[in-house]
Amino acid sequence: MSANQLRLCHRDDIPEGAARGFLPLPDAPRNVIVVNRGGQLHAYMDSCPHYRGGTPMAWRKDAYLDSEGAHLACHAHGALFDIETGACVSGPCLGRKLTRVPLSEAPDGSISVPAQVAGRAARES
Amino acid sequence: MRIIGPDYLVFGVDDLEGSKTYLEDFGLKPVQLDDTGWLYEALDGTGVIIRPKADPKLPAPLETKNMLRQQIYGVEDASVLNEIEAEMSKDRRVTRLSDGGIEFKDDLGFELRFQVTIRRELSMPAEKINAPGAPAQRAPNELGVTDDMAALPRSLSHVVLFVPDMDKVVSFFCDRLGFVVTDVLTGAGPFLRPQANDDHHTHFFIRTPAYMQGCEHLAFHMGGPTELMVAGDRFVRKGYQSFWGPGRHKFGSNWFWYFNSPLGVHFEYDADMDKHDDSWVAREAPNGPEASQIFLLQWREKWAPSGGPEGGSGA
Ligand code: FES
Ligand SMILES: [Fe+2]
Repeated sequence: MSANQLRLCHRDDIPEGAARGFLPLPDAPRNVIVVNRGGQLHAYMDSCPHYRGGTPMAWRKDAYLDSEGAHLACHAHGALFDIETGACVSGPCLGRKLTRVPLSEAPDGSISVPAQVAGRAARES
Repeated sequence: MRIIGPDYLVFGVDDLEGSKTYLEDFGLKPVQLDDTGWLYEALDGTGVIIRPKADPKLPAPLETKNMLRQQIYGVEDASVLNEIEAEMSKDRRVTRLSDGGIEFKDDLGFELRFQVTIRRELSMPAEKINAPGAPAQRAPNELGVTDDMAALPRSLSHVVLFVPDMDKVVSFFCDRLGFVVTDVLTGAGPFLRPQANDDHHTHFFIRTPAYMQGCEHLAFHMGGPTELMVAGDRFVRKGYQSFWGPGRHKFGSNWFWYFNSPLGVHFEYDADMDKHDDSWVAREAPNGPEASQIFLLQWREKWAPSGGPEGGSGA
């Protein structure tokens, strides 16, 4: 893992159809959500674009999906987001998108994100 | 019109089991109503009713995906229901229920029900504090905090709605139902209280596009700021997501702490709200961080200073 990457988890920590939130650093302002859709991992900042600055979306630790597991959901006011694109498909932030985070996977399955992800979040959107 | 405030808010939920766990962990007491409905009540009997979203016992949903299905208001006595029925029947269909309650839609399509209030009168002390210059509120040897202190929601306090047409909703509540505006956050909306309630607000409206219509949050009164902090701290430790707070609002002066929920609205603990009477003149301030709170804090893990730089036990 290069110096400007932060390790979040191992690929096997996110089973197919599941989503989890990870703090890239212990004092980072926002989680990074990692979601596994058909074996493909997608990552977004845990920062709903509805309110200025972005706000956390789960209702309980790792509760980032709607009840059918079909969409990422902001449980503040029920916005739903496409898992593959991060685009809001229903709810208060229609027309906006989650901030995608690029993931790197090491040969051993370690998943990491660029270090600057730990410092951003609250300022964005 | 002697309307007291919300008795129940009714939701048709996506995730019934998750919602049940959430509401109980929030501090509300479950009461099964029938095969498919549960009431989660605060100490005075007010609270939140949940059913699976496809339950035919629920009023029709809003066009948006918001899970709020009905607001149920308590009034002082049956004569108030007659008064409301007479007023509403002028321009809409009002349904009289077998229990005497009445149902109709407001001008924006929100489902409302009015009933003689089910609130039980509470007799419990408010949080007591000691301060120099004032008589002590706690007796000698009476402790302010204990690990097992109770911190349960006492009463459903207020509901906040996203509304596409502010003029319509304000004239409906004020001109037709006798609510008064207590303060206004310009750019967002007004705070309202009904005639039979002296709380700063039972309602706050936020102007939004039509595709957002629904409930923003609901709040329960706690016994004081310490109970609010204790309840919120326990809730975070159970894994729930803080959204905003703890802090203290300016308008209403109430302490607040908001959490995300599986009902797709925020649940708020509030405490120590201002009281008003008809001599109050509404204030106005531009909506924003400055007007929204006198201070804002954020939860963190417990910590304590200990030892020196080489002091061993410090962590
Ligand atoms: S904050 Fe996410 S839907 Fe409102
Ligand atoms: Fe509130």
